[in-house]
Amino acid sequence: MPSAPATAAKARPARKLSWRQFRAILRKDIVMELRTFEMLTSMGLYTLLTLAIYAIALSASGNGFDVRLIAAGLLWLAFIFTSMLGLNRSLVHEKDQGCLEALLLSPVDRPVIFFAKAVGNLIFLLIVQVFTVPLFFLMFLSSHAIGGQFWMIPLSLLVGAVGVAGVGTLLATISVNTRGRDFILAVLFVPLMYPLLLAAVGATSAGVLGGQSYVADFWRDMALAGGYDVIMLLAAYGLYEFVIGA
Amino acid sequence: MRREDAASFSRRKLTDVDKRRLTYIALAAAGVLTLTGFLLAFFVATPAQTIATLSTGGGRLFGGVFVSHPIDFGQKIFYFHVPVAITSFAVFFFTAYFGARFLITRDPAYDVKARIAAEVTLIFVLLTMLTGDLWTRWAWGVWWVWEPRLTTYFILTLLVVAYFVLRASVDDDERRAVYAAVFGIIAFIDAPISFAITRLVPSELHPVVIGVPGGLDGTQLAAFLIAMFGMLAFGFVIYQLRWREERVKERIEALKSALED
Amino acid sequence: MTDATDTAVSAEGLTRVFGVRKALDCVDFALPVGGFLSIFGPNGAGKTTLLRALTTLQAPSSGTARVLGLDVVRDAVELRSHIGLISHNPLLYPDLSAEENLVFFSDMYGVEDVSGRVRDLLDAVELSHRRFDLVRTFSRGMLQRLSIARALLHRPEVLFLDEPYSGLDPHAMDILDSLIAQIRHEHTFVMVSHDLAKGLELCTHALILAKGKVARYDEKAYIDDTTFAAEYRSVVGLGVA
Repeated sequence: MPSAPATAAKARPARKLSWRQFRAILRKDIVMELRTFEMLTSMGLYTLLTLAIYAIALSASGNGFDVRLIAAGLLWLAFIFTSMLGLNRSLVHEKDQGCLEALLLSPVDRPVIFFAKAVGNLIFLLIVQVFTVPLFFLMFLSSHAIGGQFWMIPLSLLVGAVGVAGVGTLLATISVNTRGRDFILAVLFVPLMYPLLLAAVGATSAGVLGGQSYVADFWRDMALAGGYDVIMLLAAYGLYEFVIGA
Repeated sequence: MRREDAASFSRRKLTDVDKRRLTYIALAAAGVLTLTGFLLAFFVATPAQTIATLSTGGGRLFGGVFVSHPIDFGQKIFYFHVPVAITSFAVFFFTAYFGARFLITRDPAYDVKARIAAEVTLIFVLLTMLTGDLWTRWAWGVWWVWEPRLTTYFILTLLVVAYFVLRASVDDDERRAVYAAVFGIIAFIDAPISFAITRLVPSELHPVVIGVPGGLDGTQLAAFLIAMFGMLAFGFVIYQLRWREERVKERIEALKSALED
Repeated sequence: MTDATDTAVSAEGLTRVFGVRKALDCVDFALPVGGFLSIFGPNGAGKTTLLRALTTLQAPSSGTARVLGLDVVRDAVELRSHIGLISHNPLLYPDLSAEENLVFFSDMYGVEDVSGRVRDLLDAVELSHRRFDLVRTFSRGMLQRLSIARALLHRPEVLFLDEPYSGLDPHAMDILDSLIAQIRHEHTFVMVSHDLAKGLELCTHALILAKGKVARYDEKAYIDDTTFAAEYRSVVGLGVA
């Protein structure tokens, strides 16, 4: 018992420093992004391009076609491809002038870097979603009523984005050191994301389509997506130290 | 010093001989078991009655194709398809396991082992896809359905291919090994989640058509288990042979670099 | 075993091996506090690997390395707060201003009184007038000065220099020389370089690496400047030039 305060006192400054480092990395990423708008512009433009391609793809489907049937899939497709673009960028600027090395030389626990980077990526992904979802609805679903409840859509996108940011940060840290960065990220990212995408598309679809027992379906899919998030985030957190030190 | 070297060298030789013997025994076992499983499956195992489509009688239309005996062949393929699938998964476990061992020890031998395990996984995953495809063709009359089992194996194939693409894109030996190990582990964690989620998120367009025949009787179980062990033995044999080949290659490389110095 | 209190940087049997490739092969040396070690060697001799091992970025396969008595593996986090690195890469974020870069790294090192420390260092490297400018707009020499300020933020006792002179024009080299001279007396230095003249001029100890092995390690007093270049060439296997 008497030793407890001593260890606690020793642990506190370390934790405080970690928290300070976490905020510093996050703030730096946000400041740099707001200065260059590199990630957000490229992701935003990419989204617009994807929406344009959807318009072409659906152009022959006729008036009778109910876009709501595939709306969740389309939304996630746009989101997954833009997110890969952004994830790649987020690590490239660390690599550019050897900054990653400077980061690793500082007395920072590697998981702090992981969480700061992942949270930064999550924020940017959410910004893109906030921009994409209304646009998508305006362009493709303005003549249709939502079958389910609207709040289900952003909630499912959020849970999906957590997994995308977490696993994506790990994979982007790998792919940034490979030949053909973007391609490698896609090759690693899409199959690993498959279960999350399936669950998230299911949940988003429940929100868009409604129908029988859609509330129960929604929560089941959300639970699955959440489970994926928890397991894969833990795995990514555990493995990040190896990746970033290599 | 010299004597110690000689001693450890001969000890190593001994285990090599043992391993070689084990490999040949496993090869023989694999051949016998698989053949027995094959014969049992076709001539002894009683046809299962639990499949829903049986009620349609001698033949039925499926996807516009008239299938005369949809059950029989599908059922027989089950005895190979499932063992192959299970083996691929068992071998994939070793990719992750050796990857983890590598991350702990940093011994490049584990990296090679993990890579070979991934190669064997690829072979078995492709075999699973092939037998699965035959199954869908004979059971349902179509070449491909996005049926959960096939879908997850499709994803598993992509994961294993991604593993090799990743390896090919990293120049530094150690970095390649670390990345491959990490990806092997996370892919192995991902695979069962894929299996689970594909089954739990049903889609109305592609309903789950057929489950594994529930409850195997004695002859069926025997055929299945024998084929199962046969496939596992094959997996082991391929792994061992590849590992020995890599070892020989490694020694040649070492000799070459020694000669250059 | 020398007393840990007067040895700043040391390696014992430091080996880094992957498969058949030995990047470092049983490297031994001990540098006293206040010393200046120059590590020479051709490309691929293991200089970078040695530096990465000493700065905790790559764990050795076997053997040990210590900085200020701290083990590079066991005490890695503690050790990192006692060392600084000045590299030929600026290790600065181009899209942040000079001041923002220093504030960021102050946070990473847990520096107290950030604004005061950053102001002092910007003054010391004569960049106060450009403190709000993006690092992207800086010249090579200014980058190098700012990167020295970054390396000194947390008052490290041991400074590692990784080819700090490469890519600098003569003027920037002079400035770097004078900056190093200013901080020389209060730090221990380890410099990796293939510039023999510069390295010999600054050092108190010299180490030649060839194929991962220490080919020669000596105090400067025992090194003959005039024959050193020839010795270096013969040792690293380049023949006599």
